[in-house]
Amino acid sequence: MGFARARPILRVPSTQTLVGGAVAVVAAALVLYPIYFLFQAALNVGDPEAKPPTDYGFDNFVNLGQYGEILLNTVTVSLAATVLALLFGFVTAWILSRTNVPGRHVLEQLMAVPYYVTPLLGAFAWSLLGAPESGFVNQVWRALGGEDHLIDIATPWGIAWVMALFEGSVAFVMIGAVMKSMDPALEEASQIIGAGRLRTMLRITLPLVAPGVLGAAIFVFAEMLGSFSAALVLGLPNRFYVVTTAMYQLVSQYPPRIPLAAAMGVSLFAVMFAMLFVYRRIVTRRSYVTITGKAFRPRVMDVGALRFVLLAVCVLYILLSVALPLLTLVYASVQKIAVAFPAAANWTLDNYRTATTMNAVRSALANSLILGVATATIGVVVMGLLAWIIYRARLPGSGVIEYIVMFPQAVPRLVFAFGMMWAWLIFPIPIYGTLWLLLIAYLTVFLPLGIRTIAGVMLQVDRTLEESAQMCGAPWAYRIRTVTMPLLGPGLIAAWLLLFIAGVRELGASILLMGPYAKVITPAIVESWFASSAELTAAMALIQTIVVAMAMTLFVALTRRAQVVRE
Amino acid sequence: MPANKTNGSTRRAVLKAGAVLAALPLAGKAFPQPARAPTKVLDFHTYADVAKAEAEGQLVFYCHENEAGTAAIMEGFGKDFPKIKTGYVRAQTGALYNKIVSERAAGRFDVDVIQLSDLAPALDFQKKGGYEIYASPEAGAYAPEHLSDPPGAFFWAGVSFAGIAYSKAKVKPEDAPKTWKDLLDPRWRNAMSCKISSSGIQFVQWYMFRKLYGPDYWKEFAKQRPRAFDSRVQLFDRLAKGDDKVTAIGEYAAYVLYKEKGADVAFVAPADGLPATPLLVGMVSKAPHAEAAKLFVDWAMSGRGQAFYQDNPNLIYGSLRKDAPPMRTGERLRDFKLLSPEDYADYMASRDQFSKEWAAMLGL
Repeated sequence: MGFARARPILRVPSTQTLVGGAVAVVAAALVLYPIYFLFQAALNVGDPEAKPPTDYGFDNFVNLGQYGEILLNTVTVSLAATVLALLFGFVTAWILSRTNVPGRHVLEQLMAVPYYVTPLLGAFAWSLLGAPESGFVNQVWRALGGEDHLIDIATPWGIAWVMALFEGSVAFVMIGAVMKSMDPALEEASQIIGAGRLRTMLRITLPLVAPGVLGAAIFVFAEMLGSFSAALVLGLPNRFYVVTTAMYQLVSQYPPRIPLAAAMGVSLFAVMFAMLFVYRRIVTRRSYVTITGKAFRPRVMDVGALRFVLLAVCVLYILLSVALPLLTLVYASVQKIAVAFPAAANWTLDNYRTATTMNAVRSALANSLILGVATATIGVVVMGLLAWIIYRARLPGSGVIEYIVMFPQAVPRLVFAFGMMWAWLIFPIPIYGTLWLLLIAYLTVFLPLGIRTIAGVMLQVDRTLEESAQMCGAPWAYRIRTVTMPLLGPGLIAAWLLLFIAGVRELGASILLMGPYAKVITPAIVESWFASSAELTAAMALIQTIVVAMAMTLFVALTRRAQVVRE
Repeated sequence: MPANKTNGSTRRAVLKAGAVLAALPLAGKAFPQPARAPTKVLDFHTYADVAKAEAEGQLVFYCHENEAGTAAIMEGFGKDFPKIKTGYVRAQTGALYNKIVSERAAGRFDVDVIQLSDLAPALDFQKKGGYEIYASPEAGAYAPEHLSDPPGAFFWAGVSFAGIAYSKAKVKPEDAPKTWKDLLDPRWRNAMSCKISSSGIQFVQWYMFRKLYGPDYWKEFAKQRPRAFDSRVQLFDRLAKGDDKVTAIGEYAAYVLYKEKGADVAFVAPADGLPATPLLVGMVSKAPHAEAAKLFVDWAMSGRGQAFYQDNPNLIYGSLRKDAPPMRTGERLRDFKLLSPEDYADYMASRDQFSKEWAAMLGL
């Protein structure tokens, strides 16, 4: 996302420079240290087990030519998923920000839920729904007299559908923000001179939001390139690989082909980095337009009876991405073998019994919650400071720091985890295999998420408030504590929640970095899908979802109570 | 079920492999015998100092087995020795092997015991000096061919074997494949499953069928466009739900598990034999909890541990102990004709070829 910047007016006090510089250096080290090892592995053309490598070269990159089909698969699925996600995001954003659809404030809140549900849960559920033979939808279809199957989710289109459903929520947030900052007078002028609603949307709204949509498109495409879970669950049954799942297979086989996988990862990193560079260029330009646009008040169009159709569109999206997947998992979790029309003997609660009595699962869930809380709490402080350094204080070199901390956005987490594993294995402080390493990994890979979220709020707060405090003689730390932090309160709470959810649900980095006493829940759920049963997996995924929802509710209740007490 | 003597030729295989293994750093060395007599614990013997093991208080286990199976093994041992806290890492064989080798290369020795499902990485690990040589007092209950060479590095904690399995809802018994060659019938095209290249048993099947039927067998098999999966459970899950009609590598353990769940699946044991792969358990060198590791190896070798490996629904591995009771199905391992490699040098040498050919067949 782009943010407006102004020239720094005030001289930077030394404490500020010191703390800011230290945080920036640590963040840069956390990001660059593993990336170095990743590049080293990709260039290793000697003994793959030798550390450090004995021979360097580009053979691994040359060998990637043999995997043209996988690269093509990756691009095709990512493109298809991006187009679909943008369609979902654009349509719902237009409906909820530009029309008078009923209940739009509630719907706006609900639109964020698919992000929490995650593509992994979506892939599990849609696999149960849409497998050609056993999918519930197809079983019902055949029971109604249909032939063969109605849908097949285990296809490239099916993977793109699932990815798009859940990334559509991200596209909605990004495009919605653009639409809200758009001058409605132009749309009104179009309608006054006789253009219909559709024509207005296509000829006026769309061109106006095009730069924002393009920015969202590139961002979402980069996300799709690095996505892992939907392709893993839905692609493998039909021998369909994308780069991330191919890498996973290459490192899981014996003998593992680490250098080749690392070369794939570095190539993907290069492409994603280029995409994000373009994205940043676009949104930086857009941010200027947005600020001038704030001079007018956004208004919504009266779309008449059409608003009920538009309401149905939004409700359908939420049904397909949230309600249907969760209900499917509930239904599957209480069966011995998940089928659409179960016999009485097929009902069971054993899956819940197994899931709740497995010590490993219990400790993994507890660890995930601990890590979620720690990641969110430390993350909000560290990432808040970084956001402040980059977008507010404008310390020397903040532009470089900005690019470095955004690196993890361009590296699939599975790839990043390799670099982290090698990096922290040889690090003199023994944190390898502990929760500390997972915490460092999470804080590193979620830097872009946390900084983007906090910076978005930070830039809405007028800097003159801080400057006033400074003029009154308040030192830097005091200003941060008494002025900046309270003003950022709601934004920081939102960032905490986002980081908490992301931490509890993390998969890619955790798979490789878990230790014998440092397990987390999502890899156990994925593993259960592959090696135990879909029904047990459904029970585990639902338990995770319920526990996370309860933790979030508790956090929100506590912060509200604290707010009431303060008032 | 066709009956035949289990692994009748394995001893010869081990002798042949001796030439290769002689090159190993530890081969030919005298088997170290502990100075003191073993202690009886519960109903098995151990050279471990149980008090010390309990004082160590931990056991770290690396295992290829699925989460539920690995957790079950640890919980079984933990129930017998509650003062020893157990922790484990489970991963597919390749990832697990890479992890432990990387850790040791970096000077980290956190693991006490490792279990692998494939002889090739186990022998590789032995070459690297990865195993501790520990002469278990329970080793006498095993035939020499089911112990490492030299003994003490690892032992065969059980055997997994596979036949053909099919969905009874999709395939009539009279139409079901009866022999391995029946799998090449075009009727199974796009309707059959197998395992991915990281699977030890898949490697054994590939190797043995090349010997039995020639390399063309797999060329014809590739034309069937099989779907490949990570675990035996997935193969049966898909059969139970009708997603596949047949699996070319239906492991008996998963068949039993799914029959008990009420799945409409059937198991066929072709007369030519059933590919079988051992589960290899061994104590790792420089184990941080050495006494706990020895205690675990003895427990796993004992009738007590073996009963656990045989009967736990997530494991169901046939025991190679000479005095092993029947499996929960009432059958013993020797009731099946099993196919295992005879020439381990040749078997190990072909691993890379298998990985590449298999991955290429699956589009990777």
